[in-house]
Amino acid sequence: MSEVLRGRAWVFGDDVDTDLIYHNKYLAETDPKNMPQYAFEYFPGKEHFAKEVKPGDFVVAGKNFGCGSSREHAVYCIEYAGVPVVLAETCSRIYYRNAINNGYPVLFIKGISDAIKAGKIKDGDELEVSLDTGNIKDLTTGAEFHGDAVSDLEKDIMSAGGLIEYLKEQAAKK
Amino acid sequence: MGKTSIVKIMERASGKPVKVGDRVWCNIDWSTARDFGGANCVLQFEKEMGMEAKVWDPDKIAFTFDLQAPAHSEKVAVNQKIIRDFAKRQGIKRVFDINHGIGQHVMLEAGMIKPGDVVLGTDSHMNLLGAVGSFATGVGNSDIAASWINGTNWFRVPETMKIEVTGKFQKGVTMRDLLTKIVGDLGAGGMDFLAVEFTGETIENATLAERITLCSMVTEMSGKVPLIMPNGEVLKWMVERAGPVVAERAKEFAADPDAEYITVLKYDVTNLEPLASCPDAPDNVKPVREIAGTYVDQIHIGSCSNGRFEDIEAAFEVFKAAGCKVNPNVRVIITPSTREVQIQATKAGMVEKFLEAGVVFTNPTCSLCTAEHYGVLPSGDVGCSTTNRNFIGKVGKGSHTYLMSPMSAMATAVKGVITDPRDILG
Repeated sequence: MSEVLRGRAWVFGDDVDTDLIYHNKYLAETDPKNMPQYAFEYFPGKEHFAKEVKPGDFVVAGKNFGCGSSREHAVYCIEYAGVPVVLAETCSRIYYRNAINNGYPVLFIKGISDAIKAGKIKDGDELEVSLDTGNIKDLTTGAEFHGDAVSDLEKDIMSAGGLIEYLKEQAAKK
Repeated sequence: MGKTSIVKIMERASGKPVKVGDRVWCNIDWSTARDFGGANCVLQFEKEMGMEAKVWDPDKIAFTFDLQAPAHSEKVAVNQKIIRDFAKRQGIKRVFDINHGIGQHVMLEAGMIKPGDVVLGTDSHMNLLGAVGSFATGVGNSDIAASWINGTNWFRVPETMKIEVTGKFQKGVTMRDLLTKIVGDLGAGGMDFLAVEFTGETIENATLAERITLCSMVTEMSGKVPLIMPNGEVLKWMVERAGPVVAERAKEFAADPDAEYITVLKYDVTNLEPLASCPDAPDNVKPVREIAGTYVDQIHIGSCSNGRFEDIEAAFEVFKAAGCKVNPNVRVIITPSTREVQIQATKAGMVEKFLEAGVVFTNPTCSLCTAEHYGVLPSGDVGCSTTNRNFIGKVGKGSHTYLMSPMSAMATAVKGVITDPRDILG
């Protein structure tokens, strides 16, 4: 994963809960492909996300992203919209598991919560992101950020493509 | 250095010594799913493993129908059928269908849960089962589907926070108010990735209902699991339901006296007053006294946080003190957490009195935890609820909700505006 990606930022603050990401109204949906149309519908000021997000855009957030419900829909609705990675200071533990278990990267970025509050990284900024290190360059404002290291097990699960794929790989090795 | 409860639990579950920060594979005692998320688990398991694949152990899997029970839409009805059919094919006997109530509560009453058990479920409030010392945790569909393959899953061994509680609640003040106080103090991310042990005389003397309330909102601080080892009356109740092994397990998984904690917090409830989580976040906490007089449209008492018999009884105490009447300008809905609670409340004569006063007393469900349930609020309405979340638009776009104890909620129902229950109880 030494890829460097380039794309636009969609910026959110701290404690973004799962109802704001994917509202409980749509929980009966079972096909992940149908979920992006509802992404951030209830988030004040981001109601246009689902219509305007482009594959390659990034979701950038502060602390405790994805707090609340265990719904995996909140990962799928971003992943299937073509967003390659969520960049957050931290995310809630269930959200983190749900992402890793799908082989979907969530990277923890030091200091990004304060930077969002200070306007050093804003909606629409052009970002350069290294998936390997989580290092970010905001090409619009010039700000730079560094990612936290990911543990070996989480890396292994992600590179297998998710938890079920990882378990299949392990079973095949035996 | 001694061990915390969660370290002991994960050592049993992984079969090896563990330390904080390790990633370990734990054997799962129960892998459960609800009507919400359950169909997703089934479809994912069958897509990834094939239609002929068998789950690792049908006797360790359970389904509970609680979020939208009975089904209110065709889509939900189809999802419930997907679960029933899968359970039949796989020989899974524990299907708690639409007539049972909230999953964790139902499984607890059925004697399925023991201290030290590792329990997964597609409910972020699964961890309220920490109220009886089990490591229960809410997860998504991938975690559940994966655990059905060989009965294990991965976890990080968490640091533990200890919260010591002393003192006795004054009249009109309850465990819910302590919980609201803690949520306000620590904030939405205040327990992120942590296990939390609740100890102290107030906890040791607390009823099971109170312990459940306290543990139910650890999720609202992003905690991994709260833990209280059963003692006294709770232990007796558990032994009756789940067998004598509960007593051995409660001892085995109690934290060592010299266990290491990342933080120790102390609370004295003696001077605590009724508190509320104001719109639109659980950690936006104010004294009920300060917001008294605020007009509300609907009051809801229930949920996995405050839907036990003792919660309904506490609400009834306020209701009775006000002459068994509620304000005609508000809609009042009470939802018991399980059928057992519903029967208890009925036998105690409370249901009849509530119905006579015009209260809607429903079947046991999660009720107003979603906007896809009866009782949803229209834009502009203000609700008052004993559920655990009041996120923006959670139970209806443009509506706002105050979270509070069953006593405060009933005092509000009586007056039609937010009211401190002490004003009615005297």
